[in-house]
Amino acid sequence: MEQERFTIPIGPQHPALKEPGHFIFTVDGEIVTGASVRLGYAHRGIEKAVESRNWVQNLYLLERICGICSHIHAMAYCLGVEKLAGVTAPPRAQAIRVLVAELERIHSHLLWLGVAAHQAGFETLFMYSWRDRETVMEILETLTGNRVNYSANILGGVKVDLDQQIIETILHGLTFLEGRIHFYLELVSGDQVFLQRTRGIGIATQAQAERLGLTGPTTRASGIGRDLRADAPYAAYLDYPIRIVTEQEGDLEARFKVRLKELLETIRLIRLLLDSLPDGELKSRMPRRIHAGETISRVEAPRGELFYFIASNGGDQPARIKVRTPTLSNMASVTALAVGLHLADMPMLLTGVDPCFSCNDRLMTVRNTGESSIWTWEKLRHYGIEYYRKRE
Amino acid sequence: MLGQLFAMLIFPAGLFVLANGLFYQWVDRKLMARLQNRLGPRWFQPAADILKLLANEEVIPDGVNGRLFHALPVVALAGAMTAMLYLPIAGLKPLYNFPGDLIVTVYLLSMLTLCTGLAGAISRDRFSLIGATRALTQLFSYEAPFLLALLGPAFVAGSWQIDEIMAHAGGQWLLLTQPIGFGVALIGLMGKLEMAPFDAPEAETEIVAGALTEYSGRGLALFLLGREVELVGGLTIIAALYLGGLHNPLDYALKTGGLLLVVASIQTLMTRLRIDQSVGLWWRYGALLVLAQWLLLLAWQGVGL
Repeated sequence: MEQERFTIPIGPQHPALKEPGHFIFTVDGEIVTGASVRLGYAHRGIEKAVESRNWVQNLYLLERICGICSHIHAMAYCLGVEKLAGVTAPPRAQAIRVLVAELERIHSHLLWLGVAAHQAGFETLFMYSWRDRETVMEILETLTGNRVNYSANILGGVKVDLDQQIIETILHGLTFLEGRIHFYLELVSGDQVFLQRTRGIGIATQAQAERLGLTGPTTRASGIGRDLRADAPYAAYLDYPIRIVTEQEGDLEARFKVRLKELLETIRLIRLLLDSLPDGELKSRMPRRIHAGETISRVEAPRGELFYFIASNGGDQPARIKVRTPTLSNMASVTALAVGLHLADMPMLLTGVDPCFSCNDRLMTVRNTGESSIWTWEKLRHYGIEYYRKRE
Repeated sequence: MLGQLFAMLIFPAGLFVLANGLFYQWVDRKLMARLQNRLGPRWFQPAADILKLLANEEVIPDGVNGRLFHALPVVALAGAMTAMLYLPIAGLKPLYNFPGDLIVTVYLLSMLTLCTGLAGAISRDRFSLIGATRALTQLFSYEAPFLLALLGPAFVAGSWQIDEIMAHAGGQWLLLTQPIGFGVALIGLMGKLEMAPFDAPEAETEIVAGALTEYSGRGLALFLLGREVELVGGLTIIAALYLGGLHNPLDYALKTGGLLLVVASIQTLMTRLRIDQSVGLWWRYGALLVLAQWLLLLAWQGVGL
């Protein structure tokens, strides 16, 4: 007798997801026997939109790809465009870029800690970590004027500067955060009830992490010391090297620990940076048109490797910008690791990679004909109308 | 006759229990919120929630037996309210008593979970089905240790009648002589009420609202009220049996309120357990520890005789 499959849909609308994604888990009782994922619900057409805006306007658009790691997108874009134009930002600007990026990492990881705790049903940790996250958001607001989408970058440099008072504020906030991070680290590696939900669950071995192409803290939790800040240093990471934090276990506990330990390293780096901030200009002169060519720009976002491909045809608008966010690389781990776990582990496994759906969603058509074609606006519109008509 | 009706419908059972339940729910939420560094709701929020739900449209999903769908919340609330007649609510003498009312009360308190489970099982919603399975699985695992834990004081008193057990204890706190039973009873109550860390049957991030996902409006309001009544009943029965009985309203407020504080703290401290983990906890530790305590009690009685 063929048994009917019992599937549990998580998404597109589900309390576990703050953004739309669709995960279908086949379960046998409480045990997951299969998993599949469908993405693309939050496609916003940003890559297409940048082609009709000039280089400066795109800075603001691209910063809005992600609501959490916004600075890193602008930074990747700026570094890429500067490389294309043959301009280097002054050392002080590069240092400030790194400073904001690292503060953003604290903001992102604390946010993740709260979300992951919420998925596990540990509301207290959720509330506490989000309360403490306010500290770093206030620092960022003091520094740039905004809590998110800081808009600290401009092509060729940065537009915010530090004075002694702001440095004091940052150092004061960091001292508080350091204490809290030590507390959380103790909690996630010592709380027996919490460990029941994280230890030994969703183990991605080193080989699996390599094969699935995981990136960022997810891969570092599997014992692979891969971090672009150290492997291919950019901006001020050349002068202020970081130490890569890894954990060997590859389970959810390791992902918690790796992110928190990374924050301690981040705090060390920020202190070092503030201690010996280079003097000088904040910006170099940028041409309005960027001469034809193409380049790639890779940076380490809080979630992993962020990849930008930038092509110019010599005008004041880019010819093509392709963004690959770390979520896409990490998503494969959810479906690969889900089988055999409990249904109750799924929200945590999913959150374990720190997914960001709207950053990740792109339109993609895969064909085997080998011909290339261009989607015009008319064609896209008709395709959309036809697609939804067929589904009815 | 009129006096009896008043006692059944208004005070101490009936309306008073509902108001008490809403108030205790607020206390629970407020305590948890303060412990989690939040502001928490205002005092009338639980009542406002219920009023709003009662005014809302009740949607009956397709493919559900309508009569059962409507009847289940009523039965659940009625069961919990009936249990209140045998309990020393507000520190007053129970309205009714008969030998063995302890057992009846405990089973009346289980009606809510049974009805919740059925409500999930008659639905075609996948979240409801999983939630119902979990709710019933949890029921079967905590029910035995919970009952055994409540029978400890009954065993000492030699009676299965709540007011006689209270009278026998004569103000002595059995918590001191039977700490394991008290702990198991309190944890069992938290399982009954699906409070964290035993909230797997309604784990929001997995199965939305569990068995009650398809309920809205009046049905949901009645289920929620039933749970609040059960909170009052559960706290009362534990305070009556383990904390030296309830003899006057102040006694009642202090003891049940104190228990509520403990319950709220446990909820704040814990991560949600997976259903297999909570079942394991009850059978492996809860049931065994209570049985061990029973053996001790038996041995003690043997020596005493």
